[in-house]
Amino acid sequence: MALLEVRDLHTRIKLKRGAVRAVDGVSFSVEAGETVGLVGESGCGKTLTALSIMRLLPAGGSSPRGSVLLDGRDLLRLDEDEMAGVRGNDIGMIFQDPMTALNPTMTVGRQISEAVRIHRGAGKRAARERAVEVLRQVGMPSPEQRAADYPHQLSGGMRQRAMIAMALAAEPRLLIADEPTTALDPTVRRQILELIDGLRERLGMAVVLVAHDLGVIAGHADRVNVMYAGRIVESARTARLYAGPRHPYTEALFDALPDRAAEGGTRLYSIPGQPPDPADPPAACRFAARCRYAQEDCRTQDPPYRTDEETGDRYACFHPVGTTQRTGAEPAAGTGIAAAGREPAPVQLGDVLLEVTDLVKDYPVTKGLLRRRVGTVSAVAGVSFSLRAGETLGLVGETGCGKTTLARLIVGLEASTSGTIRVAGEDLAALTPRARRRRRRDVQLMFQDTHAAMDPRMRTRAVVREPLDIQRIGDRAFREARIRELFEQVGLPVSALERYPHEFSGGQRQRVGLARALAPAPRLIVADEPVSALDASIQSQVLSVMKDVRSEFGLSYLFISHDLSAVRHLADRIAVMYLGKLVELGPAEAVRARPVHPYTRALVDAVPVADPAVERGRIVTGAGGEPPSALDPPSGCRFRTRCPAAREICARQEPPLARHGPDGHQAACHFPLVPLSAEEVDTRRR
Amino acid sequence: MTPYLIRRLLQAVATLFIVSIVAFWLLHLMPDGVARGLLGPRATPELIAREEHQLGLDRTLVVQYGIWLTKLLHGDLGTSPVYHQSVSALIGERLGQSAYLAALALLITVLLAVPVGVLQATRAGSLTDHTLTTLSFVGYAVPVFFVGPLLRDVFQVRLHWVPIANQIDSFHSALIQPEQLVLPVATLVIGLLAGYSRYVRSAMLDELTQDYVRTAVAKGARGRRVLYRHVLRNAMLPMATLIGLSLPGLVGGALLVEQVFNIQGLGWLTVQAAQRDDFAVVLGTTMLTALATVAGSLLADVSYAALDPRVRLT
Repeated sequence: MALLEVRDLHTRIKLKRGAVRAVDGVSFSVEAGETVGLVGESGCGKTLTALSIMRLLPAGGSSPRGSVLLDGRDLLRLDEDEMAGVRGNDIGMIFQDPMTALNPTMTVGRQISEAVRIHRGAGKRAARERAVEVLRQVGMPSPEQRAADYPHQLSGGMRQRAMIAMALAAEPRLLIADEPTTALDPTVRRQILELIDGLRERLGMAVVLVAHDLGVIAGHADRVNVMYAGRIVESARTARLYAGPRHPYTEALFDALPDRAAEGGTRLYSIPGQPPDPADPPAACRFAARCRYAQEDCRTQDPPYRTDEETGDRYACFHPVGTTQRTGAEPAAGTGIAAAGREPAPVQLGDVLLEVTDLVKDYPVTKGLLRRRVGTVSAVAGVSFSLRAGETLGLVGETGCGKTTLARLIVGLEASTSGTIRVAGEDLAALTPRARRRRRRDVQLMFQDTHAAMDPRMRTRAVVREPLDIQRIGDRAFREARIRELFEQVGLPVSALERYPHEFSGGQRQRVGLARALAPAPRLIVADEPVSALDASIQSQVLSVMKDVRSEFGLSYLFISHDLSAVRHLADRIAVMYLGKLVELGPAEAVRARPVHPYTRALVDAVPVADPAVERGRIVTGAGGEPPSALDPPSGCRFRTRCPAAREICARQEPPLARHGPDGHQAACHFPLVPLSAEEVDTRRR
Repeated sequence: MTPYLIRRLLQAVATLFIVSIVAFWLLHLMPDGVARGLLGPRATPELIAREEHQLGLDRTLVVQYGIWLTKLLHGDLGTSPVYHQSVSALIGERLGQSAYLAALALLITVLLAVPVGVLQATRAGSLTDHTLTTLSFVGYAVPVFFVGPLLRDVFQVRLHWVPIANQIDSFHSALIQPEQLVLPVATLVIGLLAGYSRYVRSAMLDELTQDYVRTAVAKGARGRRVLYRHVLRNAMLPMATLIGLSLPGLVGGALLVEQVFNIQGLGWLTVQAAQRDDFAVVLGTTMLTALATVAGSLLADVSYAALDPRVRLT
């Protein structure tokens, strides 16, 4: 018998109007020692399935129907007290964001030992010793000291380790990990996933891994359940699923991965439309409206599961991938949906539009009565690059590398400590306030959190008109016409003008964000993580629209992201930042395929590949640990503390940005991964 | 921490200085003046002028202020021309019973507000919640000068649960007859409870939806443990600020309650002095209240930092 057997699970969430069928007939099982993945986009019910197993539903959640058998015992039939004895004891759970999931006013050690005290009745000292022991097990450096720390004193990766330690303290047989790496930096994600893998093997636990990203699941799950609109649409052994998905939704998810599109040289596929209303799903295939293979029967009948008796693989589809011709026409590009063979003509690069020279931004740290300056947070430390009209530069780096500060400096939201920023040849700092205000039109910003970046009480018409009003562009009629034109360009209906920001989905709202940025006809858009908060299929929609308007207007983008693969789809060149310094800069493909700097290499390795064979066989040279503080950064090369190749000279001397290949590929490293060519050595001598 | 405290103390001195200038100036805008008040309506202008000269009131405002400030720096708040007593002695006589009354009321309010707020938060939307909300708001809405006499009428006059009031004119008299304080304290608590319990309720509700609460449940903690070990402490953090900011109330005295229950405290003194144009006393109590305000907010910030490991005072 399986360790965990979920049978026909139904969970409803009551909202103001009506109830949402968040989980609608989910069945799956987990064997002891096995890792089972639950994958799907936000709102598909994967997290609520996990929470239903633990009976930890949010307010408004009904008690789940169906059964959840743990070793044959139905958890849904237990009373609250018996259930408390299961939580943390038989099943441990880790959550997405370790910052909010830990109690801020209790030491990490106490929070971990609490589980031991509850379930083992251990005394204070014994529980504390156990806490330190588990912290050691999850690879926490100096666990005794860390146990006495509060969560805010730890870095993101250490917090997630503490979270895992808490879940494992009472040695559960099943671990439920709900998006355990989504809130972490790319180079830390892999460490955490490998830690969970290792612990599973050593402790013989089973793991349910919930994720929105197929890449994360690939190397770590034995079996994958793909969820859509509250149901599992396909369940298969990992290798089988990745070799050939049967359900069109699974296939579409794969096609929407930026890496696949980049590899195949095709335009990014985005799944058209929106998932069905979870309050009232159609009594037919729920994916039919967005499906490329949908036939008449898909829209009238609910497809039953087809099960392979031998392997247990199953899917719910009348016309699985490979049996039917694609019928759904690939929608046109204006709506942000890729059309095969309509790749826009390569952009003609113009003159240098943005030139950043030796840009420095320090934040003083003060202490004492007179606020003496005792230190400096070196956020941006001497960054130089240029960007030509029509070009897109991808700027990549982890939390705290200074990429957002750099964006704020370029847009003019903050003043630099030193260095210059020239837009179309003019030094912004040297302009009169009036001229500078006029120049602001040329550089616009797109935000990551569109919800926070729009006034909730303004209709989108007013949101998009505001830049035109402020810059006094045109008259009333002109502005209205311009807004309508912009909405059409970003693929939004004119009726959307009357709606408020909260009435849009995340992807649509980012289109409004793009329309607002485009309003004053800028020449450069600084996009700060514009798609990081969006689901993969929605990401590709927004990226496609951004690409379309770029070729239409000859725009330049400075595209900022922590994720190399998101940048790659749009960027002509990529710049990599680490702790305020530019460590590598070059043509996008060259940087990705032949990284010169060990840090770039670590970032490339950190991108999960949606292929279990590749993912499992990969030898990763990645960076260990986490970025040090920008307050008092390491001497010499700032990356040396995490670099596998670091030697003594790295601490002594800061490596300059030097040429490492054709087309201006540059990197700052004493021991580059790609050796200099003879010609380059020659140029350097001279 | 020490540099922070020093900086805050310097700020406090500056604040008090500004308060003293404004208060001094405003009090001198009062019509008539203390001399006429002392000498009565039939005093001749010559008599008033002589009296004012004796009191130093005929000098310019700046000079008067200078003299007052110099004395203050030597710890002398001046002399009341009405009571013929030093202002510090007058305040000293009244401060004890006022602070005792207000502190008792605040303590009882907090002790009641926390369980009431917790109960309401854990049963938000229930009949209990709505009933307690309604009751506390009735208490909040009805003015002290109505509640006070009502309580006196019911419990003293009709039910004789509490003996008819003696005057409380010193800290000692307040201490030896605790039964005299029952009704004034109850009056104050009725007025304060709504605000405080509301505060606890919403702080608890905020905390209960936090992710870490779910984490605690996920590790097997049961209801009470989650509530008292995890939620309550975090919900109580903002209370430190609230209590710190009620410090001036402790010193300033519960003016209306003191009037209703005939307690000769600081509030009573201030009202009497203001009626008789005794601005030396009014200035003294004003400065004391300002001092308490500044000290209270400093205390709130420091205790907040002590309770919340995330907050560091720099």
